[in-house]
Amino acid sequence: MKRILSSLVCLLLFSWFAFGQDVQIRGTITSSEDGNTLPGVYVKIKGTNTGTATDANGKYQLTAPSNATLVFSSIGFKDQEVEIAGQSVIDVVMSSDVTQMDEVVVTALGIKREKREVTYQTQKVSDDEILKAAPTRAATALTGKVAGLQINSMDNGVNPSTQITLRGFRSISGSNSATVVIDGSIASLGALDDLNPNDIADINVLKGANAAALYGSKASNGALIVTTKKGAANQKFTVGITSAYTLEKVAYMPDFQSKYGTGWEGAYDPIENTNWGPRFDGQVRQIGPTLPDGTFQEVPYAPVKDNLLSFFENGDTWTNTAYVSGGDQTSTFYISAGNQTADGIVPEDAYKRYTFRANASKKIGKLELAFNSTYFSDHTNIVGETIGDQDRPLYWFLLNTSANIPLSRYKNWRTGAWSTPDTYYNGYYENPYWAVGTNRNIDDTRRLMANVAASYDVLSWMKLTLRGAMNNSWGNGKNWRAAQKYADYRTGNSAISSFVEDTEFQNKDYNFDAILAIDRDITDMVSFKANLGATNQTQEARRSRIRANNLSIPNFYDVSNGTGTPEVEVVESKYINYGFFGDFTLGYGKFLYLSFSGRNDWTSTLAKGNNSYFYPAFGLSFVLTDAIKSLQNNVLSYAKVTLSNATVFNDLGPYAINERYSQFVGFPYGEINGFALSTTTVDANIKKERINTTEVGIDLGFFNNRVTFDASYYNTRTTDLITTITPSIASGATAYLTNIGELKNNGVEATLGGRIIDWSGLSWDLSLNYTTTSTEVVEITKDIDEVTLVTGGGGLYGVYAIVGEVFPQIKASAYKRDPQGRLIVDPVSGAPLEETGYKILGRTIPKHILGLNSTLAYKGLSFGITMDYRTGHVYYEQGSDQMEFTGRSLESVSANRQDFVVPNSVIETSTGVFVPNTNIQVSGGRQSYWTDVYNNVKENYVKDATALKLRELSLDYSLPTKFLAKTPISKIKVGFIARNLLTWLPAENHFADPEFGNIQTNDNAVGIGGYLQSPPTRSYGFSLNLEF
Amino acid sequence: MKKLFKYIFMLLAVTLVPACSEDYLDINVDPNNPTSVTPDLALPVAQAQTANYLFINNRVNTLGNLLMYNWSQSDGYAWYPDEFKYLMTSSFYAICFNRAYQDPLKQYNTIDKPDDPTMDNYTAIAMIMKSFHFQILVDLYGDIPYFEALGRSTNPAPKYDAALTVYEDLIVKLTAAIEKIKNAGEDALVPGIDDVIFEGDMEQWIRFANTIKMRILVRQSDMADRTAYVTEQINAIVAEGTGFIEDNVGINPGYKKEVNKQNPLWDSYGRDAAGVEVMNGKATCATPYVIALLQSTNDLRIDRIYEKPATGHLGVPQGLLDYDTPVVDQYEPAKVSNIGPGVLQGPDQDAIIFNLSEHYFNMAEAALKGLITDDAKALYEAGIEASYVTLGLDAAEAQTYYAQNIANVNWDFTAAANRKEAIITQKWIALNGLDAIQSWFDYNRTGFPANLPVSLLATTDDRPVRLMYPASEQASNSDNVPAQKNPFSDKIFWAQ
Repeated sequence: MKRILSSLVCLLLFSWFAFGQDVQIRGTITSSEDGNTLPGVYVKIKGTNTGTATDANGKYQLTAPSNATLVFSSIGFKDQEVEIAGQSVIDVVMSSDVTQMDEVVVTALGIKREKREVTYQTQKVSDDEILKAAPTRAATALTGKVAGLQINSMDNGVNPSTQITLRGFRSISGSNSATVVIDGSIASLGALDDLNPNDIADINVLKGANAAALYGSKASNGALIVTTKKGAANQKFTVGITSAYTLEKVAYMPDFQSKYGTGWEGAYDPIENTNWGPRFDGQVRQIGPTLPDGTFQEVPYAPVKDNLLSFFENGDTWTNTAYVSGGDQTSTFYISAGNQTADGIVPEDAYKRYTFRANASKKIGKLELAFNSTYFSDHTNIVGETIGDQDRPLYWFLLNTSANIPLSRYKNWRTGAWSTPDTYYNGYYENPYWAVGTNRNIDDTRRLMANVAASYDVLSWMKLTLRGAMNNSWGNGKNWRAAQKYADYRTGNSAISSFVEDTEFQNKDYNFDAILAIDRDITDMVSFKANLGATNQTQEARRSRIRANNLSIPNFYDVSNGTGTPEVEVVESKYINYGFFGDFTLGYGKFLYLSFSGRNDWTSTLAKGNNSYFYPAFGLSFVLTDAIKSLQNNVLSYAKVTLSNATVFNDLGPYAINERYSQFVGFPYGEINGFALSTTTVDANIKKERINTTEVGIDLGFFNNRVTFDASYYNTRTTDLITTITPSIASGATAYLTNIGELKNNGVEATLGGRIIDWSGLSWDLSLNYTTTSTEVVEITKDIDEVTLVTGGGGLYGVYAIVGEVFPQIKASAYKRDPQGRLIVDPVSGAPLEETGYKILGRTIPKHILGLNSTLAYKGLSFGITMDYRTGHVYYEQGSDQMEFTGRSLESVSANRQDFVVPNSVIETSTGVFVPNTNIQVSGGRQSYWTDVYNNVKENYVKDATALKLRELSLDYSLPTKFLAKTPISKIKVGFIARNLLTWLPAENHFADPEFGNIQTNDNAVGIGGYLQSPPTRSYGFSLNLEF
Repeated sequence: MKKLFKYIFMLLAVTLVPACSEDYLDINVDPNNPTSVTPDLALPVAQAQTANYLFINNRVNTLGNLLMYNWSQSDGYAWYPDEFKYLMTSSFYAICFNRAYQDPLKQYNTIDKPDDPTMDNYTAIAMIMKSFHFQILVDLYGDIPYFEALGRSTNPAPKYDAALTVYEDLIVKLTAAIEKIKNAGEDALVPGIDDVIFEGDMEQWIRFANTIKMRILVRQSDMADRTAYVTEQINAIVAEGTGFIEDNVGINPGYKKEVNKQNPLWDSYGRDAAGVEVMNGKATCATPYVIALLQSTNDLRIDRIYEKPATGHLGVPQGLLDYDTPVVDQYEPAKVSNIGPGVLQGPDQDAIIFNLSEHYFNMAEAALKGLITDDAKALYEAGIEASYVTLGLDAAEAQTYYAQNIANVNWDFTAAANRKEAIITQKWIALNGLDAIQSWFDYNRTGFPANLPVSLLATTDDRPVRLMYPASEQASNSDNVPAQKNPFSDKIFWAQ
């Protein structure tokens, strides 16, 4: 029967074909990416205007001549042609057009441009790429994905902070952080961190000042243009849920020695925090004090494996987002609610947040209204940062736990045996579990952002847009410490005083823009686009702090409970900036574009008459392959070159031009009040700093744009830098704010991407991006050849800007070496000599960054990874430095705690004559050499910061729609996700993640870290996305 | 359509018109920090900074006590490794240079208005206190920025001036300050409680100025080629006639047992506002040399300068590495003599910036050298009595002490040639814990007290004689800063 049927069909088909008879064709169109059906795909009979489109389920049906060819096309996918050739069911798998050369990019101030017109480098990251590994913060999800962009995760606490720089540094004291723009209005990095990543539609990265010039004084560091999800016109009503659960574990701990334990100067001491005792021998010994009843604690004098690692717990994070979106002919909407709950690796560290978003748009004739809003709230409860009588961070208490101490036994610090403050072993630093229970830092923050835009089509070629935005954040915090007194039999510990500190802050930012956009073809060949506008920005900030000390009622943390005079502080600031701008693009033949833009700004931070600045920018874009069609061939499909130049200025902070007094610490004493003149002095002629950038770029497409290559080179010169330099302190100031010197910043970035495999539903997309950037200090002043950004270790190391060197640079106390690099030692003591000045030891931002993104997909299955490699820079391993005192460093056991001859050392017998040192030993090898001599040479802690990281890994599967046909569910996607799964570090770095950095008062002082942060972590888990 | 345009332009007007008004951007006034203050709000800060400069831990007084073998380190602390090694680098106690200029000198300079007659009294106080600080800077560093110093943005790289030139100008300035006070007009502001040293008693300021002049001149009194100058200047002080201080010169804005409000010496080495003994205090203790000396001379001050443990007085040699031989834990904080109750009297004690005892010893030396006609012995004994009183003992106890027939205790025990040794040695004991930097200057000048031990970790025969210029001067004032001198052999001019 079957055979008969098929023969019949064949016959019928043959006859239709033979006669060119019309046949009924139907089919389903799916995407090669995830196997989902594709609605709205246009199906056309080749050579005619007849056609149809797929319905909401991706199905189509049409009548066509049996010998015709069907053309399937849809935006974002490659056109496909299929000969009917007798078929009646034609299912097509559409593969995405990975290299849409003429996509529309959102540029500064929300102005949309075809990519071919754009005269500078931009790179768009879509929501798929951002959400690949279910990030909790959008910024971290950009890591490794954009050439020229460096994202640093400064720590990995439950509420981490990030640093975003594009193309390295251009300013010594000013901000080098990219400007964040959300839905067309200037926002802030904090606002980006507070966004629910699931709400982001895409982020377009404007890599430099040329792209961002219209932002005036906010332009110099490029911009991240974030667009949130809006819902699409005619989109069916969609309800979805996205959830992810990840487990977070310590990835690696510092390398510790495990040969020597509790003691001091080689002798065993039961209450020591340090590891300068005798060599481990396994004998059971007393640790901690002898209690009045004569009892004491005993443990074997042997290393306890992972005794510090055992302190950290597994963290976990739950994120959920529910969203509804849709649209009809004239309106769109997107509404979402999200939450995150996280427990950190530090016991009792916890974080919660809620995000809500409502976006809507409506077209009423020529008027289009759009509204975007988000509300955010979070709650952070983490261990305090000023623990014990020395105000130390938690890590200090861990590092000061000797190798033979079974730390995890002492978790029950309230009542546990040998765990309470009086019975705990350590005579100098408290039980870390006690620290967690008695020192808390609790913060609540809120943010409300809203943005209203109205556009009106004045003429067919003229549109007026008005936009107003607010970005308000506020919050309060409480930081407290319990008092602790000790029994008399404890000799080491000092009693700890209590305090409670209440803080509040509020930031109010308002932005208004008015833009008149003109888009007119003057002739067939000549097009003209212009934007004229005005913009106004107001920022107000306020924070206050009340601290009450030595509380009367234990465990009652209210400022009324303090004794003495509470410390009170209020800091307020207001900033206003407004400007007018124009942006003009002249196009010729759709291949040559010339643009000019200018903006004039007035700022409140400078004196009247001196506060107006003009920012000009020029650009040229030339699409070679369109200008000279013959250049196009089977290999080269697209070529565009760009050239641009922009001049922008960085503004001063509010009030910075005036020297001010502030109430001096301790005052008032009764009726006597006192104000001290600031130790910062200000140049009377201070002005903005000037940044000029020239950029050339090339965009190439090969093999019908299946492979693309974008590259650019830029050269930036910053002059009149607003910099706080160190004057001679004898001038009566420690800081001098002035315009000085010159910086030169240049670099190259390149992205090579393409579809390596595209075969029968199997696809492999690979993208490589490369960044190199260097900033050189050309000049400071005639008297000064360096600027200090930050110093540590009593000034023995620091981050500097040094003339003739790459910025920022680490300088530290260093060994004196002979011309062959051998250490010169003192002929009597055998101890290495130190250089009289400090030594320049390396740049702190990577010289090279390589990012790799790969997605391998087959039907509904997709496997993606993101890796990045950073190298060519160093960092100051602050944790190792801190650890030297505790005797737990590997170096401290390198000579078995004996006096020794410094390896590869020489003695200078007479000037310039160096004789190998074979017999003069250093003294104090059992301890004091390490703590007093070795530890003073901070060169020892400057390490190669190279890191190769597997940032993201995801394996997900989308259920084919056919399985869902009978359910209300339209999409099920499940995934395994992992972040920072693997890290490779050079051998010499055995402490921490070199990406971690201390939050410094000067954000540019990068390169010191690893101590104030907890150890690096990796996380992995599952994600789920359902749509109805 | 037209209506819509109207609305749009109204909106534009609302957003942008304020921008066009004159004072729209005129908001750059810091609401939290004034740009100028009256002198009564600046002076008490300057004086508090003088106290901080001398007495916060690891500043001037700590340096003096460690270099003069008064203080050592208890078991369990690695508090003073650089000091015990005499690790003289450009970062060693650079704070003594920096803090002087950036805190008190800068602040006094804001009330130094020589051209404003209403400011005569404040200006005079500023001149006197600046001279007080500049002398210490010369004594620590030799040549220093002086005439061009404190210019802030107008001169971020001041020239250095020769130590001797500075010293001579200090006398000129102190003399001028005295004249300013004497000639201050009716409309000149007179400080009140905001002067937390003399509460506006301007005669006391004249006395203090004369006392500082005496310190400056006596310090040069061993230089043969300066005899005429010193004699002339001392005669001028005598001729001026107001005289000298009659009590310790103390700063006290109202120190009390509260966070940030305690006396800086107490706050650094005593107890914190919660009453908890601070680490610096536990870490710091006597040396056996000083303990033995005080014990052998039956000096009651021993229990005032040092805290007496239940187990008896015990000092630790400076630079000791092995604390546990022969007896384990022998040098624990509770078993050693920490800084005593005569030095650390309480959170509200005055910060004594000039000890009366030192002044008497300065005068005794001047008298001994025939520079003044007063009785050297009486002054010497007055110095010891003042020291006893300052430490909480009484004059009668001092008299019993110096009546003993012991070298460097009894004035008449030693031959005339060695009375200078007695004066300097007694000054050293008197300033132990209180103002030991002056003892270091005296030691560099006179070599007394004789046979003072050096740290066990010293690689030189004797202690350093000066500090090195801070690295920041090399970086920020390289055209002007002199080449570093040898910190062990290049003495300050008055000791050469």
